[in-house]
Amino acid sequence: MDQKEIYELLAEKLGPAALGFNDEGVEAYADVEPGSIAAACTFLRDDERLQFNQLMCLSGIDWDGYDENGKGKSVKILGYTDEGQPETSDHVSEGDFGVAYSLYSHSRRHKFTLRVRTPRATASVPTVSGVWTTAAWHEREAWDLLGIRFTGHRDLRRILLEEHWVGHPLRKDYQMPGTWDNVPLHGQPYCENPFPPIEVTPDQPAGDDPAEG
Amino acid sequence: MSKNTTPPEGYDVQREQMLDFKVPEQLVKVLDEDGRSDAKNFILTTVDEVFNWARLSSIWPVTFGLACCAIEMMATSATRYDIDRFGAGAFRATPRQADLMIVSGTVTAKMATRLKLIYDQMPEPKWVIAMGSCAIGGGPYFKYGYHVVKGVDFMVPVDVYVPGCPPRPEVLLEGLMRLQDKIRGREGKLVKPKWISDYAKKIPYRK
Repeated sequence: MDQKEIYELLAEKLGPAALGFNDEGVEAYADVEPGSIAAACTFLRDDERLQFNQLMCLSGIDWDGYDENGKGKSVKILGYTDEGQPETSDHVSEGDFGVAYSLYSHSRRHKFTLRVRTPRATASVPTVSGVWTTAAWHEREAWDLLGIRFTGHRDLRRILLEEHWVGHPLRKDYQMPGTWDNVPLHGQPYCENPFPPIEVTPDQPAGDDPAEG
Repeated sequence: MSKNTTPPEGYDVQREQMLDFKVPEQLVKVLDEDGRSDAKNFILTTVDEVFNWARLSSIWPVTFGLACCAIEMMATSATRYDIDRFGAGAFRATPRQADLMIVSGTVTAKMATRLKLIYDQMPEPKWVIAMGSCAIGGGPYFKYGYHVVKGVDFMVPVDVYVPGCPPRPEVLLEGLMRLQDKIRGREGKLVKPKWISDYAKKIPYRK
């Protein structure tokens, strides 16, 4: 089914909670209200004409530097300096968080992408792990790296980093740690090459090691 | 070592002279009178020398692969490159039986504490090879690697650094041989054979 038709079915079901459809980019997507994402996903999965039985990917998005219409400029993220020390910045991050759901139907063989937007302060979206079980781990990853809280998730722990890690590394305003748990994470400054190029003189005997004779 | 050539820089002449230890004449004489065939038919050496020879001839690495470098390490231990030729083919599944830890890959903050634990469990004497850019200095994760230890030498002492991303099996074998030099008591001194430098001059991009 065409993606426009899928959206029309969805908009008919959701009413005002369906915010819009965009097929200008590489991948067409529909924006929906965060509060009705679980209802939308259940409809897309269960409807006989749609049958989206797989959640291919669930991605968290940090829209720091972009407004609601997608206008803006990318923000420089912080890393380590050449001396290996964490970079600092006065930049205060704004902009919302988003979650994108890429769906696929094995029986109908069509794709669809949903998108929700949540304010940076709350960063909270209802879970869809009741609709597709695979969403549970995807949501844990989005929580781990971006700090988006999925309400109703039964086991929202960090999945990649250690449980007592501080901060969410893929946020645009994340500052790199110098050490963590007594493990140094800063780098060593660049130095001159300690192994200068070897001069081979004519009287040097051929062989791997002259000491071997 | 012949006396005519000047020893290379850093070469321990005094130690070599000690190894050129001459058999005392009295000893030779006694054995001759006993009618033994050849009085010189024995070896004099030091305990260290024998122990180090034994150690370098069977370096058992611990089975410890972290990332894509581990694939190259596996290739090195397989039949084509055959690390067993150097006595280092017995990858032990426990650090308590191992002498060498080849840190083959990216050391994350989460793994670093485990790596330290494994290193501490290995019995002395023990050696470490840092294999690949990540283990040497963070590699591609230097700039934005929030979870990567920028060089395993922050965690454990490293004996030999093997550069590459990932290093080819030959390079790892080269690193192993330099480690053997180190155990033998001679710091590995990499001197290119002349034919390599001659060949390198013929390559167009080298001026």
